[in-house]
Amino acid sequence: MEEQNNSGAVNPEEQPKPAPRPAPARPGTALWLKIIAGLYALSLIAAFSVINRADAARKTKPKDLDLSKLTGLAKSKKDAVAVIPLYGAISQGSSSRSWDRGSQQIAKRISTMAARKEIKAIVLDINSPGGTVGSVQEIYSAIMKAKAETKKPFIARFGEVSASGGYYVAAACDKIVAQPGTITGSIGVIFSVSNFEGLMKKVGYRSEVIKSGKFKDIGSAMREMTPEEHKLLQGMIDDSYDQFVTAVSQGRKMPVEKVKLLADGRIFTGRQGKDVGLVDSLGDLQDAIDQAGEMGGLGKNPRVVSDTDPFENLMSLVDSKLSLLGTKSVTETFDIAPSLEYRWTGK
Amino acid sequence: MNIFSALETVIERPETLAAEAGPEGLGRTGMLGYFAGTLGFFAFLRMFSAVPPGIMSFSVVFILLLAANFFFASSIHLFMDLTGAKGRASRLFLAFGCSDFLLALLVPLAFFAKLQVLNGFLWFCLCLLAVVYARVRLVRRLYPVSANKALLSICLPYAGLGAVFFAVSVYAVAWLVWLVV
Repeated sequence: MEEQNNSGAVNPEEQPKPAPRPAPARPGTALWLKIIAGLYALSLIAAFSVINRADAARKTKPKDLDLSKLTGLAKSKKDAVAVIPLYGAISQGSSSRSWDRGSQQIAKRISTMAARKEIKAIVLDINSPGGTVGSVQEIYSAIMKAKAETKKPFIARFGEVSASGGYYVAAACDKIVAQPGTITGSIGVIFSVSNFEGLMKKVGYRSEVIKSGKFKDIGSAMREMTPEEHKLLQGMIDDSYDQFVTAVSQGRKMPVEKVKLLADGRIFTGRQGKDVGLVDSLGDLQDAIDQAGEMGGLGKNPRVVSDTDPFENLMSLVDSKLSLLGTKSVTETFDIAPSLEYRWTGK
Repeated sequence: MNIFSALETVIERPETLAAEAGPEGLGRTGMLGYFAGTLGFFAFLRMFSAVPPGIMSFSVVFILLLAANFFFASSIHLFMDLTGAKGRASRLFLAFGCSDFLLALLVPLAFFAKLQVLNGFLWFCLCLLAVVYARVRLVRRLYPVSANKALLSICLPYAGLGAVFFAVSVYAVAWLVWLVV
């Protein structure tokens, strides 16, 4: 009410003046805008016509009439050679995680790669001194099964070392390519037992063993090995050795007697291996891939599919960092449990 | 009021952005600005084969630009609100659309780049500078604030994103070093 009264008493001269109207737009601006819009439309038309022409030219680019390309028309563009790395000592692995590099994961990778249609040949890139008998045979068996089921060629490529179990695995392959200086051979079996009896006596440590049979603690590091145990182990060694010799004989298509001459545990260079028939040719990884391409009908320098999965590599890296902050590798080093091995221990 | 009139009003009388009613047809003009700007940007990228062809590809670029501008407008409005300047976020978003008309310049500039007159990236940066300049002018009228504060508010989201990107990169490098070493 008071406000109304006050407003009624206001002097007309003191009333606020209405806000000044905004200045009208310059007439030229609209015209310029229309011209710019027209130019924009024109430039868009020009741009898209250029883009279309470029795309069309890219699509209708004349094909190279190379005969090798014509013969390859029937093949899928995806056809490739797979390379599966096999590095380090071969063992069963401590878990079933897909990024672990145990023998079961490698065997699975081999069968998975062999089952893929676009993979026409497989190269095993081996740099291994071998490993435990069971794990080596698991990989060997996976290769033999994959070969029987898919008829795809396998090529082994040797890097620095491919001895003992590394060679056992390679024996399953159709071809072996090695560097002239590769260390290979070492065909044989080893079972080593440490004896800490004297040390334990010195430190006052004594182990009591209660066993169901006289051989139950065979290979124990706490006592001397008995002649009976030695005989039993020798039998095992001989049997495993015989399996190795047979595998090499079958894989390399060599008489058992000839293999036995080479299978006294001696090592060879790649060139010596070629001379005695353990290796087919000398060369590097690219030579092995070229040979695989030719055997798979892809010609030289084929497309290569690597077995390595970036995610699994990363997980493997993280896993190795997080597993007991690196102490896992230390405990593995000091794991002295004896085992039957196709392994060259000279490295 | 047609789009040309609305655009003319924004150019000639940007102070009307802060008025109660606002320029008539600003919504349509702003959205058309985003569309025309994206089309120019898309044509520019296509000229350098940086994006795949097709409607889907264009739609993705359009949605990305809209989302980015929505983020910029909201963060600038938040900054303005926190510092006491009053304005409307929706109008800011649409005003940014009007500034995106400048991206249409990228189409002729792509031809210049193809003719080896300056580098394509350099032309893009120049165009982006023009857009930032136009946005500063619009922001200072819309809220209204000083030109420096408008410039600061425009740069803040870029600086924030840059800081986040830098921090993530540094941490990623440190993490990788920790993994490998």
